[in-house]
Amino acid sequence: MSGMIINDLVFVAVAGFTLLSALGMVLSRNIVHSALALILTFLGVAALFFNLGAGFLGLVQILVYAGAISVLIIFAIMLVMHSEPARTNLFNTSLGTHLAGAYIAALLTLSLSLAIWFSELPQIKGKTVEDAVGMLAQLFMGNYVIAFEAAAVLLLVSVVGAIILARGAKQS
Amino acid sequence: MSEHATIGVFLILTLVFPIAAMIAAWLFRAKPEPSEEKLLPYECGVDTQGPSQMRFKINYFIYALVFLAFDVETIFLYPWAAKFQSLGLFAFVEMIIFIAILVVGLWYAWKEGALKWY
Amino acid sequence: MGYLLLAPEMLLTVLGIVVLALGLILPQRGKKVTGAVAMIGTLGILVVVFWQFGYEAEFFQGVYGIDAYSHFFRVLFLSAALIIFAMAGNYLHLFSERQSEWYSLMLFATLGMIIMASSGDLITLYVGMELMTISFYILSAYLLDDGRSAEAGLKYLILGALSSAVMLFGISLIYASSGSTVFAVVYQTLQAQVVTQPVLIAGIILLIAGFAFKIALVPFHMWAPDIYQGAPTPVTAYLAVGSKAAAFAALLRILVTALPAAHYNWTMLLAILAAVTIITGNLIALAQRNVKRLLAYSSIAQAGYILVGLAASNVYGFKGVLFYAMLYVFSNIGAFAVATLVETQSGSSDFDAFSGLAKRAPMLAAIMTICMLSLAGIPPMAGFAGKFYLFSGAIQSGYLWLAFIGLIMSMVSVYYYLNVSRLMYIGKSSEQSVPVPAMARVALLVCLVGTLIIGIYPQPLSQFAEIAIQVLY
Repeated sequence: MSGMIINDLVFVAVAGFTLLSALGMVLSRNIVHSALALILTFLGVAALFFNLGAGFLGLVQILVYAGAISVLIIFAIMLVMHSEPARTNLFNTSLGTHLAGAYIAALLTLSLSLAIWFSELPQIKGKTVEDAVGMLAQLFMGNYVIAFEAAAVLLLVSVVGAIILARGAKQS
Repeated sequence: MSEHATIGVFLILTLVFPIAAMIAAWLFRAKPEPSEEKLLPYECGVDTQGPSQMRFKINYFIYALVFLAFDVETIFLYPWAAKFQSLGLFAFVEMIIFIAILVVGLWYAWKEGALKWY
Repeated sequence: MGYLLLAPEMLLTVLGIVVLALGLILPQRGKKVTGAVAMIGTLGILVVVFWQFGYEAEFFQGVYGIDAYSHFFRVLFLSAALIIFAMAGNYLHLFSERQSEWYSLMLFATLGMIIMASSGDLITLYVGMELMTISFYILSAYLLDDGRSAEAGLKYLILGALSSAVMLFGISLIYASSGSTVFAVVYQTLQAQVVTQPVLIAGIILLIAGFAFKIALVPFHMWAPDIYQGAPTPVTAYLAVGSKAAAFAALLRILVTALPAAHYNWTMLLAILAAVTIITGNLIALAQRNVKRLLAYSSIAQAGYILVGLAASNVYGFKGVLFYAMLYVFSNIGAFAVATLVETQSGSSDFDAFSGLAKRAPMLAAIMTICMLSLAGIPPMAGFAGKFYLFSGAIQSGYLWLAFIGLIMSMVSVYYYLNVSRLMYIGKSSEQSVPVPAMARVALLVCLVGTLIIGIYPQPLSQFAEIAIQVLY
């Protein structure tokens, strides 16, 4: 039982950290600081995955998001760097927009949380996978092979597209 | 749960240890008046000049893009490699096809000069 | 046939890669060959699909299934791609050195659509959809020197990523309440114990919202006009026809085979969405002064008509969905083909560029008029037969008000479609003629013949659609 409590405490701490970093990313006026806060958010999400027992996903989160994507984002920011870094992430400050955004976000969060709270979910409750990586491998190579190969094509498309678009940006 | 707790304890220790070391150093060191030389950031080599947040070349960006695609490929490789023994020939062929498709991407990047540094 | 039934998917992948590789190997002047290779290859795959008619198979425990329904949509996507390849012709000079990549990306987008229409599993469906959408992100930004095209690509990317996230969340909630992502298993689980979990309802709503974005239903339509206007015209044509048909194909399959309407009353939700979409799309289209933008709003309205058939949720309505999606290929691509040719010649798609087109290029003006009359639903064009099926399906299911709205708004739409025709026939004309390459001529002819024949003699297509629909039950 005390294990459950520790687990909950860890969850609250990690979730709070993630939310605060996400908030910092949105609110920071300097886009470089935003990017750094985004990396913290990625790490927080990775910690959440670990906390849920999805170690492989946590690893992917760190490797791809905190590793590659954050580097990409920082390079992209540096590519179009403004002379005044402190004013690079300005946003609409009108109160009405803020209130409307907050209202919609709160409504969506509330309704979805209530929907999840009042559901039983008998199909997946308490189901855990022992050898997650092995099972993933079997699914990739077995039933989901079409999605797997389509993912390869997807990566090919993104490489080709990224090069086309980036080279176009270079010429102009 | 228990192995994750070990990691948690380890993380806390790694946080506590350097802080404790710095506090100890602060307690025992001599405390002279701060001078300009002393307030400079400690760095090997030359002092930084100008703002550090400056415009990069596009090469960095294209490299990062191509790297990202192959980073994701590694993710797909990992479970396959971990279970290679039990998966069999069919999975091997599937993986070869997967890699072959991505090699075309690498070829494209190469031919289009995305890997050139200038 | 076994795994040979997957040959079109494999061949399409190989074709896309071959076209890409040819672009790398061949010297600058030889790159025109890639277009021919793409066209002949697509035609060949279409022949393979026809040859596979009548064969059915389920793969990987229901994760992927080839049946008459898949065959129908394979034919639809491949012929749409083929017609667009043929009509694009001269327009591609704007892409200078990147033509072979354009063909390749279009082929990969087609692959994504085919996977969407055939997958019997939410994850495979999602990967197929991402393959299609990511290809379209790049294709819409393909005119790199044109700021509007870049804006279109960026907008589509940001909003598309948002809608994908919404949809994934919906998928995760459906998985949470049913314990599976395979349609058949979801159906069985929900059948065995009628789950009225709020989570499941939220999941269905989010899933429909994600699809509604791809289909550009009001109120998820904001992206469509800017992107349709900014993207290269052949890409817009494929975006309007292909990606919409793919989203409808997948949505229809999910709703019928995984989430039976008997338990979850999603038909009312779809009916309301359809009504709002038809009204908004048609009314805003009235005010447009640019042909591409007009076609964008008209295609929002058209998606609303197709949704009527989905909301009807009976065989008649579903048959109408398939029927309309197919005739939409011919009528809409025909209109976009004329817009492409005029834009290639004049560099603009504003109304002024179409003024007096009948004197400069009588064939183009005639085809544009016929295609638009078909979109408006005037007999004997194909659009009339399609709307007839859709609306009578709605009436059978008791959505009389919806059919009524559709009818009234179709009449409104005649005004703005004929407005373009009026401009082409009695507007002031410049002297410049519009050159029509041979391949584009063939494409236009196919669109014209398709629109007229489906309108005059709808039986074969109607039967084809009916056979395709029967397999879902």
